[in-house]
Amino acid sequence: LKAFAYVNAANEREALAALDARRGRVLPLAGGMDLLGLMKNYVAQPDRVVNIKNLDKTITMGAAGARIGAAVTLVDLIEHQAVAKAYPALIQAAEEVGTPQIRNAGTVGGNVMQRPRCWYFRNEEFHCLKKGGPRCFAVDGENQYHAIFGGGPCHIVHPSSLAVPLIAYGARFRVAGASGEREVDAGEFFELPADNLMGETVLRPNELLTHVILPASTGLRGATYEVRYKQSHDWPLAAASVVVTMDGNRVKSARVVMGAVAPIPWRVQAAEEALAGKTIDEAVATAAANAAVAGATPMSQNSYKVQVARTAVKRAILRAAGVQTV
Amino acid sequence: VHGTREGFAKALNVPMNNVRVITEYMGGGFGSKFGPDVQGIICAQIARKAGAPVHLMLDRKEEHLATGNRPSAYAKIRAGVSAEGMLTAFDAETWGTGGAGAGSGYPLPYIYQFPNRRRVHKDVFINGGQQRAMRAPGHPQGCFITEVLMDELADRVRIDPVEFRLKNLPAQAPNAMWKAYFPMAAEMINWKARHPTGDPTPGPIKRGLGCAANRWGGAGQGTKAHCEINPDGSVLMRSGTQDIGTGTRTIVSMITAETLGIPMDLVKVEIGDSNYPFSGGSGGSTTAASVSPAIRVTAGKARDALFARVAPQLGATPEALSVQDGRVVAQGGKSITWKDACKALGTQPISIDGEWERGLSASGTSGVQMSEVEVDIETGITRVKRVVCVQDMGLVVDARTAETQIYGGIIGGVNYALYEDRILDRNTAQMVNPDMEFYLISGMSDLPKIDVKIVNQPERGVIGIGEPPAISTAAAIANAVRNATGVTIRSLPLTPDKILSALERAGGTN
Repeated sequence: LKAFAYVNAANEREALAALDARRGRVLPLAGGMDLLGLMKNYVAQPDRVVNIKNLDKTITMGAAGARIGAAVTLVDLIEHQAVAKAYPALIQAAEEVGTPQIRNAGTVGGNVMQRPRCWYFRNEEFHCLKKGGPRCFAVDGENQYHAIFGGGPCHIVHPSSLAVPLIAYGARFRVAGASGEREVDAGEFFELPADNLMGETVLRPNELLTHVILPASTGLRGATYEVRYKQSHDWPLAAASVVVTMDGNRVKSARVVMGAVAPIPWRVQAAEEALAGKTIDEAVATAAANAAVAGATPMSQNSYKVQVARTAVKRAILRAAGVQTV
Repeated sequence: VHGTREGFAKALNVPMNNVRVITEYMGGGFGSKFGPDVQGIICAQIARKAGAPVHLMLDRKEEHLATGNRPSAYAKIRAGVSAEGMLTAFDAETWGTGGAGAGSGYPLPYIYQFPNRRRVHKDVFINGGQQRAMRAPGHPQGCFITEVLMDELADRVRIDPVEFRLKNLPAQAPNAMWKAYFPMAAEMINWKARHPTGDPTPGPIKRGLGCAANRWGGAGQGTKAHCEINPDGSVLMRSGTQDIGTGTRTIVSMITAETLGIPMDLVKVEIGDSNYPFSGGSGGSTTAASVSPAIRVTAGKARDALFARVAPQLGATPEALSVQDGRVVAQGGKSITWKDACKALGTQPISIDGEWERGLSASGTSGVQMSEVEVDIETGITRVKRVVCVQDMGLVVDARTAETQIYGGIIGGVNYALYEDRILDRNTAQMVNPDMEFYLISGMSDLPKIDVKIVNQPERGVIGIGEPPAISTAAAIANAVRNATGVTIRSLPLTPDKILSALERAGGTN
């Protein structure tokens, strides 16, 4: 662990003032599970660490939707009954994150902003593309947990569980920086490696994600289904969030987003179109799931993830429709 | 501790009487920590150069990269079976790597009787880290390869896997009890409800049962011990063995207390120091069988020495005395309390040495495990729901620590079956998962219900139990996955990738 200065920011203004426009020099610390691991592995070597646990940690619910502070812990999110009722797909995703300890300390903002878990990226022995190196070692290496969508040249999967349902619900992110604040659609917040190799989002090094803003969920039905190899403390092999607007017992419109399959949460319009106008049953869900993975481009060792992702989508759709799944 | 003392002395070229090794407790031994190892020697060299104490601790990554691995195993087998279900022939070409210049042998075929057999084994040397003893070296490999083959052969002749094994087991003997244990385990897991290979139930969740047997040696010898009985009634038992989490300290205390007829809280146990009387390293499940007899003999000698001192007070000969519930009792019923007996020692405590003797321990254990799994054929993910185990270990010294040894072994076996995998990058040979994140280990939610039936064989004496329960779990799980899905995975771990690929080759997941 490289030595670093520590700034305990009392509020958003102080936190922003402590940041730096140059990438990697100053890093914000929330729950710390991700950042400390990066620092111990010498992947992140900041000169200064800024405690941002004092960002807004409140949840407000109103007719227009919900506003969730980035410093809200996952456990507080899960236990917020109004959020759980209005946004079940979000809570189902939050419940699957890590372990109870991680959910106790981890924050909403931290979950969205965590860095990829790619074992080449995390291992200091590999000077990979994402760390400024010459190549992505996953291409002809060990890629069983890597992306099946996204087209490279870096083949990480985005690690955030919450980002998937947030995009499905059409959330917006409030971003604050030295020069003011802006709101970004969650679907436009994440960037592919072809557009942004060194980071995963539009957030600049001197900005902070401060709030997640969810539109009202009236008339929506949503669900998340995550497939994990292990039950205890593991990352998903694939996950899916589905949010549908109903018209009687037919789907008026739908959003289908997959997690852990691409460098960003992967929304698939073909699957959404396959649901529109239909009454959800096993056959409709299967057809939409097939459409969701139709464009997959698996690597040498992860074609099994296509089937896993297909299953996640199918079961999320059925769960959203209230059909019993395994 | 004694082997490690010798290792340090040799490496640093200092006399052994200048080296003292203290290991009160140690995690994860099983023969992999017989000596000081490269990191221990480096630590000692730094300390000598610095003239100061040095504390060295490997982190997770270093532990993965520097401290050795279980050798790999690969086999091509042709086997024959008669229409009546009798094994006829076994012809195997096998390979394995123990790293650079080290062996990779493993027992094969495992347990079952093939009247005609041939095997050619080749060690493949690679620059990929040295082999090291990992719980029951060689046996899980040989067990998995043989037991999966047994299920495939049983299907070939359409015989139930348990029945098929009963036909082909060696003759029953105290160290070969599988013919008795298979029916017992079958009863525990309700084997008669097993469907033939491939769960016909509709839906993605397929259930299955599998079985496998294990054998191990577990003999030990050579331990020496020292016992003191003090005038205040307190007792010291000292031996240079070590507790690698197996309960050695507990059984030393129990055997001493039982031999002296006193409660355990009067006994202080001192182990884990190379200045104490010699005992061997803890590996090969030899510790209990090496230590227990030495403690029994030494405590007995101390008791007899006490009898000699207090006999006059009871008006009896020493031979006529015995201990009972904290009292020294003479034939005829006259008795005094343990405390009063010890008071008679005055200023001269009993101080006596003893050692392992033949006749209180033995070699050879047998066990059978069966497993019940659920496989989601749309995700390839396996959940182990249940493992049942019938296991002997000679005389059961302490049922509770024996049972926890078995739980530990089975949990390790679940990890071999489903999770543990040292993944080397195929281009650079660097390990990509030297961590707790992608080197998968089961958590509480991944563990099955475990039911253990321990078979006591008191007439045989003490035999070690550390390793045998870890051997057959993975094979039993693999056979249960085969029974559930109808596809055979001839490789561990049983990843979703392998299961989905095998299902796809067999005609799709649904």
